[in-house]
Amino acid sequence: MNVHFFNSIPVIPPSKEIFSRLGQVQGITRITAARRAEVERYISEASALVELRGAALRCNIRSDGETVTIASENNPALKSAALANLLDGCAEMVMFAATAGETIVNAIARDVLGSDVTRAVVFDAVASEMTDAGLDWIMRYWNQELRRENKTLTKRRMSAGYGDFLLENQKIFHALLDLNCLGVTITPQYILVPEKSVTGVAGILSVQGE
Amino acid sequence: MDIRKIMTRRVLVLDGATGTELQKRGMPAGVCPEQWCRDNPDVLKSVHAEYVAAGADVIYTATFGANRLKLDQHGITDVAGVNRSLAELAKESAGKKVLVAGDIGPTGSFVEPFGPLAFEEAVSVFKEQVRGLVEARVDLFVIETMIDIQEARAALIAVREVSKAFTMVTMTFEKDGRTLNGTDPVTALITLQSLGADAVGCNCSAGPAQMLEIIKRMRPFAAVPLIAKPNAGMPVLKKGKTVFDMQAAEFGAFAKKFVRSGVGMLGGCCGTTPEHIRVLRRKLSGAAPVPPCRGSLSALSSARAHVILEGVRPLITVGECINPTGKKALQEDLRQGRVTLARSLAQQQVEHGAVVLDVNAGVPGIDEAKTMRKLIAALSLAVNVPLVIDSSTIEVVDAALRLYPGRALINSISAEKAKLERLLPLAARYGAMFIILPLNDREVPETFLERKKVIARIVKAGQRYGYRKSDMVVDGLVMSVSAHPRAALETMKTIRWASQVLGVNTICGLSNVSFGMPERALMNDTLRALLRKNGLSMVIENPLRKKTRPNRYAADVLRAKDKDALRYLAFCRGLQQKPSQPAAAVKKEMVLSPAEKVRRSILDGNREDIAAVIETALHAGIAPEPLVHDIMIPAMSEVGDLFDKKEYFLPQLIASAETMKIAFGRLEPLLRSDSAPKIRERVVILATVQGDIHDIGKNIVALMLRNHGFSVVDLGKDVAAAAILDEIKKHIRPVVGLSALMTTTMVNMKQVIAAAQQEKLSCRFMVGGAVVTRSYAHSLGAEYAADSVEAVRVAQWLSD
Repeated sequence: MNVHFFNSIPVIPPSKEIFSRLGQVQGITRITAARRAEVERYISEASALVELRGAALRCNIRSDGETVTIASENNPALKSAALANLLDGCAEMVMFAATAGETIVNAIARDVLGSDVTRAVVFDAVASEMTDAGLDWIMRYWNQELRRENKTLTKRRMSAGYGDFLLENQKIFHALLDLNCLGVTITPQYILVPEKSVTGVAGILSVQGE
Repeated sequence: MDIRKIMTRRVLVLDGATGTELQKRGMPAGVCPEQWCRDNPDVLKSVHAEYVAAGADVIYTATFGANRLKLDQHGITDVAGVNRSLAELAKESAGKKVLVAGDIGPTGSFVEPFGPLAFEEAVSVFKEQVRGLVEARVDLFVIETMIDIQEARAALIAVREVSKAFTMVTMTFEKDGRTLNGTDPVTALITLQSLGADAVGCNCSAGPAQMLEIIKRMRPFAAVPLIAKPNAGMPVLKKGKTVFDMQAAEFGAFAKKFVRSGVGMLGGCCGTTPEHIRVLRRKLSGAAPVPPCRGSLSALSSARAHVILEGVRPLITVGECINPTGKKALQEDLRQGRVTLARSLAQQQVEHGAVVLDVNAGVPGIDEAKTMRKLIAALSLAVNVPLVIDSSTIEVVDAALRLYPGRALINSISAEKAKLERLLPLAARYGAMFIILPLNDREVPETFLERKKVIARIVKAGQRYGYRKSDMVVDGLVMSVSAHPRAALETMKTIRWASQVLGVNTICGLSNVSFGMPERALMNDTLRALLRKNGLSMVIENPLRKKTRPNRYAADVLRAKDKDALRYLAFCRGLQQKPSQPAAAVKKEMVLSPAEKVRRSILDGNREDIAAVIETALHAGIAPEPLVHDIMIPAMSEVGDLFDKKEYFLPQLIASAETMKIAFGRLEPLLRSDSAPKIRERVVILATVQGDIHDIGKNIVALMLRNHGFSVVDLGKDVAAAAILDEIKKHIRPVVGLSALMTTTMVNMKQVIAAAQQEKLSCRFMVGGAVVTRSYAHSLGAEYAADSVEAVRVAQWLSD
């Protein structure tokens, strides 16, 4: 099984999503021009600190409706009925991860200790949204790869830590995707470090043309 | 067959989708397409034959994935053999009149610096494929469906190093108009056509309408024919199946629009069939090709951006800071193999307006070529602007140009014989632009007339390697006016002649001119203005330096009208003696009372001015305690209310909280000396529970609590239960706030609370965090705080 690594995922900071994550509600939140300019400046600074990298692995799977078993050494199993439901009808899946890198996380940590908490919260939002956008990018990349095989990824993806897809499964992602190569480690509580790192999985579906 | 000649007479029709045609004829999913075709040659030949019969002038070999990396996944190692045999099948089907294009697709791995595949490894992988295709005597090559410009470069270089055959490259662009790896169509065009692609264009991912827009963007800058191979429309969901539903007639209706937009080769990609190609053939019958509208283009590119050096445009700043000369910290970084400082300098220069960056790796004692490669890789990831390779050492320039994922500018090539003979062909191989430095073997020419001769010689030499004037930039070569009073004048003449008579771009580094003079910035900036008037197109300078306004005293020196610079020196002496000017006019302000200004500053989150506003309030006689209790804390409560109503979002809340913190910091010592009601007797202990490393939310809560007069003991993150209990025991009825962000760690909240209950500790708990809910909190016997504002209210209630 070959892990695909991406050293530099080109994502433009999704401004609308970042403002939304910071609590802006269209039509309700009043933001002065000066405050908006300040936030946008912080967004620009943050994006220069984000080093968005990723990894992805295509694998064969078997599912019994409750557990998805990956055809790999030791046949690791992902126990989740919700995941099995997402992957219903799929003989393969792609598991992937993205990380914003430690530079932005360190910058957030410095600022949040008191030097500039306002900037820290913006940096935090940028890092989170760009990492999510990194997963979107990886899915678009795979759809491009799969197109010639007349296949596509499921529209939805799932991440460990939601619903019955427990966070414990993240250790399988960390191992199979060899995330140490991206500088991402995992704690005994299955938290990825640096903290702006996320994993996801989507199924591969066959599609038929006319 | 000379394809280039044919393309001057007619538009060539390319074939359509092959994969789907093979699937219709029984190719199962999941197999290696190339091996299946070898095992079922008649099926492949029937597909080729149908496209030939439909009128295709060019058919692609079924070798899209026939590279070592993809074949290896199926246990196939005979790369050359696979390519040769599949190309031979295409040749058999093509006959004498139809051309066969050796098809090279992506390896599936991004190439350094964007991915793990080393550049030379990528070139080697593609060369294996090319050799097999050459053995089968394909007529041309197509590098297609590329999303990584660096991989496209590697493939093109691989072809060029094995064969001189016509080679076209098509990239795949997404809905946002860029490849997945962030390259826009014009950037791709500039890079690929300068690297030697005979035709450039796009395929896949878009239907004809969308692809036509991409072609139109490329057209004004194309010096080569354009190619388009759109899908049969955009994929749509029909009865649970994804289909490309654009029928042949509708597809064919775009044919002439593509031709008018400069497409010289047109075919189809996903969803297209022989019928689509048949219709294209009919529509293109008799259509006259529209040749490229230019012979060359003066432009630079990076992987993700480009700079056009033609037409009316502002002076282009080339940032000069990534040059270790005289910079100890940068030298040390590079000696240690680090590029951190260079990255930071790159980002700063771009933020301050640099449109291109000069990169120099010249540090004594290091492997300059290796360092330059490292810098190119790092800077290509750090910034999007094109780079200038600042070296005259052949090995360094070679290493840089090979790896650089765009079209670079070489700084520089002089008339020194050795450099001309070696650097020019090297630059030509990679299609780089270059700066002409008017120096020869013997001396630095001082006058414009001497420089003109040298420049003309280099231009002529460049033209022998296929260079045009649009590929060259003349350096005005400025020397110090303190040693050469006419230096700037000669440079102005050189620039004027080069831009207006020779018709090339021009560049100049400013800082030499003022060496040995006072007020160097003034002299440099005045020179910039004078050179710009004479046609200067690019300037090498430090964009971080604050600019001054051009000055007539400096101008007179530069124009050699101030003998010995006496007037200028007198002017500079006068500058040094003048007292500093008064500050700029004070802004008109609304007339607010000092107390109201404090309130407004907190509401507005005015961290910059709050200290001064507090001082003003104190001087106005407002006592610290009412300032805190009657103005500041109510203001923060108002901020909290606005946040609750979503009229304020998080940055506004935090800015107000930080403003409050600064104000509090100033007033707190005064409050202690004042026998006022108690502040900071209410204690809140905060901790992110054991195993959890997330703390930004907790830290915001700490900030808000302190602003409301609480004494906060922040134990940090990943805090063991025992440590929390130990802290509780030090205080009287503290409030304890626990934070957890993950399902795996929130369980530790229960442990802490249970342990406290067991030891009968007198404290009250509140909990929060992304995964914590109100019902979970209540199940633990704790209060819940959804955010920092609620945390303050809960803490106040628990403390009362």
